[in-house]
Amino acid sequence: MQIYLPIAELSVNLFFLVGIGGAVGFLSGLFGVGGGFLLTPLLIFSGVPSSVAVASVTGQVVAASTSGALSHYRRGGVDLHLAMYLVLSGILGAVAGVAVFAMLRDAGQLDLVISVGFLVLLGSVGVLMLIESTRSMLKTRKGVVVRERLPNQHNWIHGLPMRVRFKKSRLYISVLPVLGIGLFIGFVGSLLGIGGGFIMVPALVYLLRVPGSMVIGTSLAQVVAMMAATTMLHAVQSQSVDILLAFCLMLGGTVGAQFGASAGKYLRGEQLRGLLALLVLAVAIRFGLSLIITPSDVFSMAVQGIRQ
Amino acid sequence: MMRLFLLAAALLALILPAQAERLVSQISNESVEITSSFDGERMTFFGSIAPDAGATEKFVTGPFQVVITIIGPTQVRVAREKTHNFGVWLNTDQVQFQDFPSYFHVLSSARLTDISDITTLTTNAILPESHTLASNTADWWKTAVFGRELVRLMTEEGLFGVQENGVNFLSDNFYSARLTLPSNAPPGAYLAQTYVFKNGEVIARKSEGFSVRKIGFERFLALSAVQQPLLYGLVCVILALFTGWLGGVVFRR
Repeated sequence: MQIYLPIAELSVNLFFLVGIGGAVGFLSGLFGVGGGFLLTPLLIFSGVPSSVAVASVTGQVVAASTSGALSHYRRGGVDLHLAMYLVLSGILGAVAGVAVFAMLRDAGQLDLVISVGFLVLLGSVGVLMLIESTRSMLKTRKGVVVRERLPNQHNWIHGLPMRVRFKKSRLYISVLPVLGIGLFIGFVGSLLGIGGGFIMVPALVYLLRVPGSMVIGTSLAQVVAMMAATTMLHAVQSQSVDILLAFCLMLGGTVGAQFGASAGKYLRGEQLRGLLALLVLAVAIRFGLSLIITPSDVFSMAVQGIRQ
Repeated sequence: MMRLFLLAAALLALILPAQAERLVSQISNESVEITSSFDGERMTFFGSIAPDAGATEKFVTGPFQVVITIIGPTQVRVAREKTHNFGVWLNTDQVQFQDFPSYFHVLSSARLTDISDITTLTTNAILPESHTLASNTADWWKTAVFGRELVRLMTEEGLFGVQENGVNFLSDNFYSARLTLPSNAPPGAYLAQTYVFKNGEVIARKSEGFSVRKIGFERFLALSAVQQPLLYGLVCVILALFTGWLGGVVFRR
C-alpha cells in the first residue's frame, strides 16, 4: 500500500515505513538508544531527501524516548535539575547545528560531514564500548566480581569553577562540563539527525560520574526535550518535517521498542553493550567505506530551492 | 532565454497563417490530484491535424510527425562532481542551473533526429539538453559536461525522459500519446507543448497547461507546514509525545 508523503513529495510503501520503524524501534528498545543513527541513513538510502529524513527522524526519536523517560521518571530515575542544564545548553548547540546544516547543504559538503561525523563519532564510541564490554565479559567468565566505579570519586573535571549541587545525583560539581556536554550533543545531534543517547550515557557515566540509577532516565529525558526542540527548529527554519512520515515511523517504533525492551531482559548488560558496539561499528564502517570506495557515480544532483 | 524562445514562437505564429494546417488537441486530465494513495497518474494526449479555418483544402496531406514535450515547474538544480583527493572522495566541483525543469518528458512519433535537425529541436527546447543551456555562472565547457550528467541523473530518477515511440498515429492525421506521470512528479503548473512537423519544419504548435496539486489532507498538511510552521512543529511534538506515552500505557512497560 503506497502512501504519499506531503513534505517529502513522494510516495512510499506504508508497510516498509512502519517496518523499518519497527525494526529500528526493536533495536532501540533492546539497547536503550534512540535509534536515529540507524533510521536517518536508512531513510536517505530509500530515497527520502536527506533534509526531510533528518528533520522527521527527530520527531520519531521524541516518540521512541518518551515512554522510557516516563517510566524512569515514575521510578524516580530522572535528575530534572541536571537534565535542565543539559537541555538549555543543548538547545544553543542545536541552533548552531541547524545553521551549519543549512550552510553545508548549500556548499555541497553535507554528505561528507555526515559521513566523517558518523565515522569518527560512531567509530570511537563503538571501539570504546567493545573494549569495555569484552573486558567485563571476560571477567565474569573468570568469576571475578566486577566492582562498579564509585560515583563520588572525583576527577579534575569536577574541580572546575562554578560549582552547582545536583541533589538527586548526589553530585556537587562544576557546571562547565555539564554545559559543554549539552552543547556538543545538541550541535552534533541536529547536524547528524541523531538523539545522541549513545554519547550522552558514556559522558554522564565516565565524565560526570552520575550514579547508574540516574544515567538512563536523565539521558532519555534530555533526549526527549532536546529532540522536541530540534523538531520545532527544523519545522520553523527548514520546514522539512514530514508529519506523516514521522507518524508512520513512530507507530512502528513504539511497538518495536516494547518488544525490544522485553527481549533485552534475556541478555546481560555487557552482552547488550557488546552487541550495540558491534552495531555502532558496522554503521561507522559503512560510512567510512563510502568515503574510500570509488563511488558508482561520481556525479550527483540536488535541488537548491525554487528560484533565487 | 525561455522568454526569447516564447517571443520567437509568437513571432513565428504571426508569420505562420499562410500554413494550411492547424492542430486540434486535448489532454485527458486538466489537473492531476495528489491524494494519500497517489502512485502516479496515467495521462492521454490526443488530437488531430485539420485544415486551417481559412484554407481552401478539405484534407491535409502528410506525412506528419508529432512531438509532445511536458515540462514541470522550474527549480534551481545543482550538479556536483566527486574527485579522489588524498584517498577520500569529495565533492569538489559544482554547477548551478537556474530555472531548470523539475520534470521533462518528450513523446514523439519517430526518432527525434529523423523528425528534424538538431538546431530546430534545440531552439524549440525539445531536446532535454537544451534546458541546460540557460545562463549560469560556469563556463560553457563545464556547463555542457555537468548539464549532460544532470540530464542523465534526472533520467535515472524518471523525471526526464524521451520516448521516441510515445506518439501513435491512429490515422493519417489523428494521434494519441500516453504518459505515466510518476509518483515523485513535483506539484505545480505543467506545460504540454505539441509540435507538428512536416518535412523537418514546425507547421503547427499548441500549448496546454495542466496542474499537479495536492488536495484534501495532503494539501492541508503541506500548507500548514509553510504557513503555520510554529504550530505545525508543536503539533508534531505533541503527536510524538502522545504516541510515545500511549505506547507505554498500552504495553505497560
